[in-house]
Amino acid sequence: MPLRAARVGRVGVIGHPVAKTAVVAKAVTPGPAPIAKTAVVAAAVTPGRRRRI
Amino acid sequence: MTDTITDPSLDELGPVDYIVVEFPAGASSFTGEMVKELLALVDSGTVRVIDVLILTKDADGSVEATELADIDELGPLQAVEAQLAELLAADDVEHLAAAMEPGSTAGVLIWENLWAAPFASAARRSGGQLIADGRIPIQAIIASIAADEAATTEGD
Repeated sequence: MPLRAARVGRVGVIGHPVAKTAVVAKAVTPGPAPIAKTAVVAAAVTPGRRRRI
Repeated sequence: MTDTITDPSLDELGPVDYIVVEFPAGASSFTGEMVKELLALVDSGTVRVIDVLILTKDADGSVEATELADIDELGPLQAVEAQLAELLAADDVEHLAAAMEPGSTAGVLIWENLWAAPFASAARRSGGQLIADGRIPIQAIIASIAADEAATTEGD
């Protein structure tokens, strides 16, 4: 189906071709490894965790 | 030209984000769960949906866009459709579809983060200027933690 006429001829807001985000796709792929990674991420964002500099 | 936002309506606008969610051919399983969660975000005032498009990319790379209003039986999404602002232009469709695999379908969602608007507005009234923002990929967090753990292990 065609786009509504209001969308044609307007200046866009994205600005450039978008690249596929492979990182996110891998992170949410179900399976043993991502589940383990989820635990790692959860530990990383645990309240009270402090950086060591 | 000035960086100062003087239009009150713009001053109260929250950050606007977009996602393109791809469904590879034969991999979609629509149970209504996505709609339910989106409506929960809308109903709680967390986000305002600005625009939605459904894109299909043929095997030859040609792209077709479908308006939400052109879908039969929108159900609870009818209320969302009625509030859309149709922000995306035809050029944007081509730019967003560049990320899609041939033969796939994708949903494009543009939304305003209403939850962030009051804080952003307060920051501006306090003289603050947004000079950087972004999203940290989960993989980057994993890599950081893994490197941290490796360094700890080496130090033992």
